[in-house]
Amino acid sequence: MTAIAKKELKSYFLSPIGYVFVGVLLLLFGFYYYQVLSVGSSSFLPQVYSVMFIWCMMLLPLLTMRSFSDEMRNHTDQGLLTAPIGVGGIVFGKFLAAFLVFAIAMVLSLIPIVIISFFASPDWAAILGTVLGSLLYGAAMISIGVFISSLTKSQIVAAIGTFGASIFLLVINQLSSLVTNTVLAGVITWISFDNRYQPFAKGILDLSSIVFFLSVVAIFWFLTARKLESKRWG
Amino acid sequence: MMIEVHRLTKRYGENVALNNISFSAGENTVIGFLGPNGAGKSTTMNIITGYLSASSGWVKVGGFDTVDQPNEAKKLIGYLPELPPLYPDMTVRGYLNFVYELKKVTLPREKHLREICALVKILDVSHRLIGNLSKGYRQRVGLAQALIGNPPVLILDEPTVGLDPKQIIEVRNLIKNLSKNHTVILSSHILPEIQAVADRILIINNGSLVADGTPFELEHSMSAQHHVSVRLEGAMEEVEKALSGLQSVQTVRNIGEKEPGVWEYELTGKEGKDLRRPIFALAAKRNWPMLSMTSSDLSLEDVFLRLTGSAAVPDDLTKGRDA
Repeated sequence: MTAIAKKELKSYFLSPIGYVFVGVLLLLFGFYYYQVLSVGSSSFLPQVYSVMFIWCMMLLPLLTMRSFSDEMRNHTDQGLLTAPIGVGGIVFGKFLAAFLVFAIAMVLSLIPIVIISFFASPDWAAILGTVLGSLLYGAAMISIGVFISSLTKSQIVAAIGTFGASIFLLVINQLSSLVTNTVLAGVITWISFDNRYQPFAKGILDLSSIVFFLSVVAIFWFLTARKLESKRWG
Repeated sequence: MMIEVHRLTKRYGENVALNNISFSAGENTVIGFLGPNGAGKSTTMNIITGYLSASSGWVKVGGFDTVDQPNEAKKLIGYLPELPPLYPDMTVRGYLNFVYELKKVTLPREKHLREICALVKILDVSHRLIGNLSKGYRQRVGLAQALIGNPPVLILDEPTVGLDPKQIIEVRNLIKNLSKNHTVILSSHILPEIQAVADRILIINNGSLVADGTPFELEHSMSAQHHVSVRLEGAMEEVEKALSGLQSVQTVRNIGEKEPGVWEYELTGKEGKDLRRPIFALAAKRNWPMLSMTSSDLSLEDVFLRLTGSAAVPDDLTKGRDA
């Protein structure tokens, strides 16, 4: 597992993907920090993360699109699956590497806030809460993305499929007002990433949302492992 | 027994890729899988290594069932698949390091990896990107990857594909050396390659095992008749008549004039009779210069073609012994 995570992390930064992902995210963060600075109030800082929520959801598919697609196309999955490790470890290694890249971007995004904190006193509790929320939905989205990439040999198909999933999870709560069936409306608000993320943006540490995101990670980790194993039975 | 394969069958829907294959291999033997493309060689290897599962039947490696105790079994296997599992964006050294960690090898890393690189002769490219290597080098990196951790069982799917003749000989010698303390299964659709290294040959066709034996046994099992091709200088009709008159000759076929005044004849002996001495004696007596004589027993190539070309195969070839 650590071997795979290490190799993946290296390959993110051997290819441009890692740099582009972190760079573009930080550029967008910079843009919104600049707006906060021009307003001149550090109380808007946590809101940068709520705005970035949409951008992150849009960019995360780029991080996971190649994870298993590339392995299958290069036939390197054969090397992984015949190594003396379980599929669970393989999937978790992949997940962990992508998550670490996202986490690097999130940690680096705190630098401007650290600088601002010399001149003002930002609300650290709210900011760290929203960063935690970001890491959670990021982990969930990455887990979904890794699963989708295990379904196809084509990176492009994996990327578009994951985009579709992330857009769906972003906009689904807009449907809830249109749906009359209360059960369905309940399900929609229940699975909407936006709804789940909002408590963190408000500085609330919502246990049910934490459990929700971690469950999504676990479910798609499990599904990916089963998908890889199903190859054996094909 | 290092490898036991028991009644292995693999179906893809209606299509039967492997049909009831059984064999076993002891320590320090080289088993050659021979068969035309698509016969089921790679499928068998993929099942042994745990990449695919069988529809029925089981495989044990070193006594571990590959389904019940996959990690224990996989630890004993070094596998070079048909397409080596290489990452083009890694350096050779980086890749071997990764495989070393992936397989959780505990041997001293520097020394072990250096030894392997020296063995397959890739020390000079160890800092280059795999994506920039030639096919021959990639194949050797694939071989190196299989050797990491010094597993007692090596499964090599067409290990010499893409190598030049010199490298092919090197790899053959390497396999011969490895076979002193490894069980090796290698596949090929090229016969001389298998013939050169294998202690035992399994011929697979259309998913079934059609022959199993040492190269010698296979060559001799198909035909008890002795064939000789001979080129004699002399009046064609006279020579042909004299040859037909020999006691142990069953048939004589005139192949034609190969050189000015020289005809080639193909003779078939009666069961169990060696024709070479009588022919020589005849030629010497009649003073016909003999320009060449080759004993053309059914070669392994013929055995192979015959077995994979037709379904009718004598039963005694598939008795399935242990090596």
